[in-house]
Amino acid sequence: MNQGIERYLAPQSLDQALFALQELGEVTLLAGGTDLMPQAKAGRAKFKRTLMNLRGIPELKGVSREGNTLRLGALATITELLHDPLVGEHLPVLREACDHFASDQIRNAATLGGNINNASPAGDTLVPLLVLDAEVELASRPDEAIYRRRMPLSEFFVGPGKTRRAPAELLSAVLVPCPAPGHVARFYKFGARPALDISTISIGLAGVRKNGHLENVRVAFGAVAATPLRALATEEALEGRQLDAQTIARVAATARQEVQPIDDLRASAWYRQELVHNMLTRMLEHVAQN
Amino acid sequence: MAVLEKSRKVVAESLIGQRIPKMDAPEKASGKTRYIHDLDLSGQLHARILRSARIHARIKSIDTRAAKALPGVHVVLTAADLPDQRPIGVAKDHFPLKGEVVRSQRDEIAAVAAESVEIAEAALKLIRVEYEDLPVVADARAAIAPGAPLIHPPRQGAPAGAAVAYTGRPDNVAMRFDYSHGDVIQAEADSDVVIEDSFKLHYVTHCCMGVSGVIAEFDASGYLTLYSNTQVPFLHKREFAEYLNMDPARIRIIQPPIGGGFGSKLDVYPFEVICVFLARAAQRPVKLVFTREEEFLASPTRQPVLLTLRSGCKKDGTLTFRTVHTLHDNGAYTSWGATTPFVMMQTFSSLYRVPHCDYHTTAVYTNNPYAGSFRGYGNLQATFAIEQHMDMLADAIGMDPLAFRLKNAQESGEVTGQGMVFKSCGFKDCLTTAATRSDYVVKRAAYRARQKDAGAVKRGIGMASMLHVGGGAKIYPSDGCGTMLKMDDFGALTLITGASEIGQGSETVLAQLVCEELGLPISAVTVVNNDTDITPWDVGVHASRTTFIAGNSAIGAAKKAKAKILAAAARKYECAEETLDLKGGFIVRKESDEALIELAKFIRGLHFSDKAELVMTTFYYEPPSVHQDKGFKGDVSATYAWATQVVEVEVDTATGIVSMTHVTGAHDVGRVLNRLGLEGQIEGGVIMGQGYALTENLMVEDGRIRNPNFRDYKLVTAPEIPAMDVSFIESMDGEGPQGAKGVGEAPAICIAAATANAIENATGVRLFELPFTPEKVYRALHGQTEKLYWAPWKPE
Ligand SMILES: Cc1cc2nc3c(=O)[nH]c(=O)nc-3n(C[C@H](O)[C@H](O)[C@H](O)COP(=O)(O)OP(=O)(O)OC[C@H]3O[C@@H](n4cnc5c(N)ncnc54)[C@H](O)[C@@H]3O)c2cc1C
Repeated sequence: MNQGIERYLAPQSLDQALFALQELGEVTLLAGGTDLMPQAKAGRAKFKRTLMNLRGIPELKGVSREGNTLRLGALATITELLHDPLVGEHLPVLREACDHFASDQIRNAATLGGNINNASPAGDTLVPLLVLDAEVELASRPDEAIYRRRMPLSEFFVGPGKTRRAPAELLSAVLVPCPAPGHVARFYKFGARPALDISTISIGLAGVRKNGHLENVRVAFGAVAATPLRALATEEALEGRQLDAQTIARVAATARQEVQPIDDLRASAWYRQELVHNMLTRMLEHVAQN
Repeated sequence: MAVLEKSRKVVAESLIGQRIPKMDAPEKASGKTRYIHDLDLSGQLHARILRSARIHARIKSIDTRAAKALPGVHVVLTAADLPDQRPIGVAKDHFPLKGEVVRSQRDEIAAVAAESVEIAEAALKLIRVEYEDLPVVADARAAIAPGAPLIHPPRQGAPAGAAVAYTGRPDNVAMRFDYSHGDVIQAEADSDVVIEDSFKLHYVTHCCMGVSGVIAEFDASGYLTLYSNTQVPFLHKREFAEYLNMDPARIRIIQPPIGGGFGSKLDVYPFEVICVFLARAAQRPVKLVFTREEEFLASPTRQPVLLTLRSGCKKDGTLTFRTVHTLHDNGAYTSWGATTPFVMMQTFSSLYRVPHCDYHTTAVYTNNPYAGSFRGYGNLQATFAIEQHMDMLADAIGMDPLAFRLKNAQESGEVTGQGMVFKSCGFKDCLTTAATRSDYVVKRAAYRARQKDAGAVKRGIGMASMLHVGGGAKIYPSDGCGTMLKMDDFGALTLITGASEIGQGSETVLAQLVCEELGLPISAVTVVNNDTDITPWDVGVHASRTTFIAGNSAIGAAKKAKAKILAAAARKYECAEETLDLKGGFIVRKESDEALIELAKFIRGLHFSDKAELVMTTFYYEPPSVHQDKGFKGDVSATYAWATQVVEVEVDTATGIVSMTHVTGAHDVGRVLNRLGLEGQIEGGVIMGQGYALTENLMVEDGRIRNPNFRDYKLVTAPEIPAMDVSFIESMDGEGPQGAKGVGEAPAICIAAATANAIENATGVRLFELPFTPEKVYRALHGQTEKLYWAPWKPE
């Protein structure tokens, strides 16, 4: 299973890591390993010549606040996010997603950076981060200095397991603007059982509440396409409209049209569309009532 | 226990009905138990098996040269290397290694023994197999269709009477079962209401925490030792001898602690015979342990069943008849599990008083997975159909379903149409206890009235009951168990029993029964139960029989020991034996409980005297049951267990998610022996039933298992487990050990049926196909499910 690995690196700083990445090119990055190891074992991921363990890099750890932005380190584990006071205060919708994520054992190992770079359409942190307008920070060291670029998360995903990260880059952090007062957000994950399940579909919803309607609406779906995605038509149907039964029905119908899921082991496309419709309805009703 | 100073009176409580922790719990909970996975013999090689890449194909060639050349590989075997392979299984319809045709995804083509698992794996990748595809039969209905491709086509030139593996078969029918009592045609004419429905039961598998494994070792004299997880060591000893052309006396089976059985270890499987072949060829011990994926692909499943049931009753609620046709998918080969109709027909003929009953099963060959035995043994499938029809008939005549069941329920003293004799029967108590404790009648009416209310989440309540053998099952020539009991100089006991422990707690309950007889604390016992060279014969751990059969056997040995001790004590104290007893580790006067002497001291006195004697006894218990006749009639078990379970659910009609919130169970267990063990057994069984009803589903498409992993094969997890209220009905069976009956399988049996009834109560929609996964339920609730119908079929 570990065939092909010739060298193991455990850099102790971001600088070391980026330097090696720039030099070697052919590197497999390891964080919690909860995606990588099962995939390698099943033959779906192949190890490159160098295996780089990121877990010793202090710059990738922790959650901090920089002005009006929360900085979530790529190595923050799901357990850390679940218990982090800043996340709890400002990003309860992300906390909610972490609460429905895998099991304690997996959460203790699984990292945010791993969840994002694994780029599964069913990755559970992705949908809440999309509705929170999160950006990814990608670090590289093309020359003597560390270079960081930012990109909206909504542009980062290309396909299952595929992102716009360049081979010499590391995802260093996720940056999330602190939501404005009146901000409401909801996350819903459908799995066949309440714990330890991969999303059949997931829904993220956010907006700023103003006299009975939502502004700056964000709607995102997981597991209904090749990548997690923002649903622009659905957002438009909701933006600024009175949150009454008629709007809710129209928004849910738009969402059902907008998603184009596939049939797989977990569910049929038809059922996924039904779930999107029914659960978005339920979430909007919940927002309207509270 | 204690001896009061002044009166020398011994005070000790009875062990029966106490909560006694399992004797193996500390070892298991602390991770110290050495399962087969933890066992390594010096010089041992590791084996892996190459399985088929096709579902049904002719093997054109197998090239093992590169694998053999790999450093670290000791042996590579294919069928060509084993001209002496003999066909295995109940129907003798397959060889351990397949040389000509593969018939299922599991099929074994080659095997490697190497220095390490990794080398063996690498060697498998170097084996080249050329196939020529054959048409795949992936559905039991397709298997009986005219002109269906044959899984075991007839072969020329085999001697008459030879095994299926040599002769083939003219059709895909592996087994037939036909039973009847009474006259169903007349009974139908006399019925006021007749209903007919088809039911479909899916594939699930045991998911033992410990995956399958075996270690085979020959000693220098050619004596074979097998470290095996088998549930039936004595039957397998004999079977292996046949497959290996060996003297059974030269085969010893040792069972390391087994990480779960549930019926999955009743057959001899190809991997076990293959491992012995490898050990023979390598002249080294060989260990073969499955991966989890392999466990899903190559260990058996519960039998998938298609079933059409026709039932009738009169307006006053009297059942009139039942006609049942079932179609079972064996997969490519026949396992013991194909005989599940033995159990199914008991439920149809005898759970309720049915004056007229016809039962027919056809078990067919397909290219699907190998279906085997599984806790409940067909009873989950039968009960699923019957108990839904009980609700439907009750509704059709406007009778409360509890009253309808009570009217037709069996009672003590009944002899059924199938010849089963119910000497003790707590069925009616089970029904009323479960109904009362769950408030069934009131809730059922209330939930029904609320079906059309606003709000997506509906509540429902449903009931189902079961009958299962509780005193062994006389299928083999003997249904007995032997015990040897030894008391040492310190009053400690070694209980040597033929009964196997597979996690069910038999060691503890047997120790308890023996200690109860001999007035000793449970800590006085060591149980030896896992070595055919030491333990006396037992037919195996199946059919919920161990507590009953091995328990009676252990009590028999203990009684003999007690008689011996008391006879000696009577001589010493010059009194009658009847006036003495054993209590709290002492010999006491029965009347007063006055301590005469410490038992250990007395035993030493017996031992170290000029007429030296040891206390060692043996006992063999054979239950007073009979073999069924050719028409499947006869009192096959020494007693029968009963239960009623009431399930409450919440159905989210917007998602189809069914949450099981409460299970109220009432079980006729004869008598509670170890309350803690019993509760554990019931709770575990309920959860297994819950998985069968709601989440577990081995997905098979065109003969291929699509979800051989725990990500997509969904076991119930902790948050889903319902609140449980379990009551025990003590019918004090006259034959049972201290009055007890077997309950190993019972708790899993009713859950799916009761859940179906509860969903109907919540939503008004009845589901005929398992499992009730969210999408399936959602489709049914939204009219997206076609009504299933399977027209009964019999071979010409
Ligand atoms: C039993 C089980 C249950 C699970 N349940 C869920 C669930 O409920 N929801 C869910 O979303 N996921 C689930 N997962 C998937 C997995 O746990 C998550 O995706 C997790 O967040 C991955 O993080 P990791 O640190 O383990 O990643 P790893 O496996 O270490 O890495 C994943 C990928 O990301 C790359 N990578 C990691 N860090 C970086 C970085 N900083 N920069 C660039 N690339 C990087 C790696 O090279 C690799 O390709 C489950 C997995 C298992 C085994």
